Amino acid sequence: MSRFVVIGERIHCISPVIRKAMDEMDPEPILKRAKEQIAAGATYIDVNIGPAESNGPELMKWAVQLIQSECDNVALALDTANKKAIEAGISVYNDVNGKPLVNSADAGDRREYLDLAAANGAACICLCSAGAVPGSVEEIQGFCMELLEHGLMLGMEPTDMWMDPLFLVAKGMQDKQQQIFDAIKFFTENGLNSTGGLSNVSNGMPKELRTKMDCAMIAMAMSQGLTSAIINPNDKNMMDMIKSCDILKDRYMYADSYLDL
Amino acid sequence: MPFNGKSGKFKAAIKEVEIGCGEKAIKLGGENVLPFYTFDGEIANAPKVGVMISDKGLQDEVEGVAAYYAGCETIADLAKKAAEMPGADFVALSLESADPNGDDASVESCCETVKAVVEAIDAPLAIIGTGNDEKDNELLVKAAEVAEGKNVLIMSAKEGTYKSVAMSGIQAYHHKVAAESAVDINLAKQLNVLISQLGIPVEDTVMHTGTAAAGYGYEYVASTLDRIKAAALAQNDNMLQVPIVTPVASETYGVKETLSSEADAPEWGSRDARAINMEVVTAAADLASGSNAVILKHPASVATIKKMIDELM
Repeated sequence: MSRFVVIGERIHCISPVIRKAMDEMDPEPILKRAKEQIAAGATYIDVNIGPAESNGPELMKWAVQLIQSECDNVALALDTANKKAIEAGISVYNDVNGKPLVNSADAGDRREYLDLAAANGAACICLCSAGAVPGSVEEIQGFCMELLEHGLMLGMEPTDMWMDPLFLVAKGMQDKQQQIFDAIKFFTENGLNSTGGLSNVSNGMPKELRTKMDCAMIAMAMSQGLTSAIINPNDKNMMDMIKSCDILKDRYMYADSYLDL
Repeated sequence: MPFNGKSGKFKAAIKEVEIGCGEKAIKLGGENVLPFYTFDGEIANAPKVGVMISDKGLQDEVEGVAAYYAGCETIADLAKKAAEMPGADFVALSLESADPNGDDASVESCCETVKAVVEAIDAPLAIIGTGNDEKDNELLVKAAEVAEGKNVLIMSAKEGTYKSVAMSGIQAYHHKVAAESAVDINLAKQLNVLISQLGIPVEDTVMHTGTAAAGYGYEYVASTLDRIKAAALAQNDNMLQVPIVTPVASETYGVKETLSSEADAPEWGSRDARAINMEVVTAAADLASGSNAVILKHPASVATIKKMIDELM
């Protein structure tokens, strides 16, 4: 079994620094965050350019080439609602370190992102929801099978569809957390990869509590077999927890210095 | 549905390490398949066989070993003869005379032997210390200096010696160093991490992950080797993607099956045959579990293991 895949979330147009860098096509802030995340242990870097309605393809191409040329062709998740931008990004993508990851399709009106991934030889995050919060684990399983079948019809490998159970905020949705663990267990039992925006769980919590809640969530989710998460790799508590869980899952050989690796 | 055979070739590979100079130099490692799984992918570098000699000469050697070296007067003579042994890829010189619990020979006198040997042979050389940390800290550092330019394999850097042995052996004199641990995969990995944290590239090291004679807790050796190869290839663990060199003779000549004379154990038959059997079974198992080189003594064992390797490759 391979090690847990960390998708670094810090290149996101919601961040004012990144927003400005994308508007001005200023490489430095973007490269700085890419390098910090890779140094901390990210395998994939998420590149969220927002809706980018005016210059999506141009912006995504620029970002992909910029990050890959400066960061040893690191694998990237292409994160935008603009499909033309995803296609443009893939057209200049070097897959030596992993297929491009389309972020994301769902079982509602974003189903065609799976078509886009299939047509371009990419992997795809498949959010097991049709827009609303899934009501039960059975509903998540249903969406998962629908998406899986759709992807398989398009010729995709099952392991290239990374199932997302939709992580939900704990504050106010405590009763929904168990269905997330059950969904991950279902993905694992079916040999599928899984991922998601894990830090949703601690939304709205005081800052000093967020890392603790995120760590609890990653440990519990990894115990169910979660194979990846979209997180901030520069949260050391989180990375230490992931490395420790990888040891306990026998995904990585223990050595006293394992946290340094 | 048609059968689709899947290759067991891994995306990860063991790093390739070269020992020696010139035409006789050998390469260890480089493979991206399990040991001898040539049906899954090409193994560019077949496992290698080293021939061990002692700086104490031919004391108490079994018949076949003594006969092979008959007429040799110096350690350099032994080294030349070892290098010519059919099936030999390299020579391993054990500096056991330096052992403080034995002859406690001086570092200077051992280094003279090393000098004589590196001048006498053009085959790749491994230099084996005493296993005593205090002595090896000095002995292996000096031996590395004397052998400068020969790209030898220094055995070994252990938890208590890795700083001096790896720094001098690799950084100062550009040799290769074996990181030795005692049949413990976690320590084997940790030692590689510690050496890499000195700024030494893992590519300049091999591992000696522990050894035992067949029947003497050998299962632990085999399972450690198996798990190292699995972690290196299947989990792409770059701290374990290092070739493994396993001394065999140093263990098998110390067990009662080999030591007992024919007078003491007549029912066991020829002592020479027993020595060969112990060496061959142990070495064959080491290689099948993933050793990239074994170190033997008896010419018949060397020939047998070489034949096994050739036929499996």
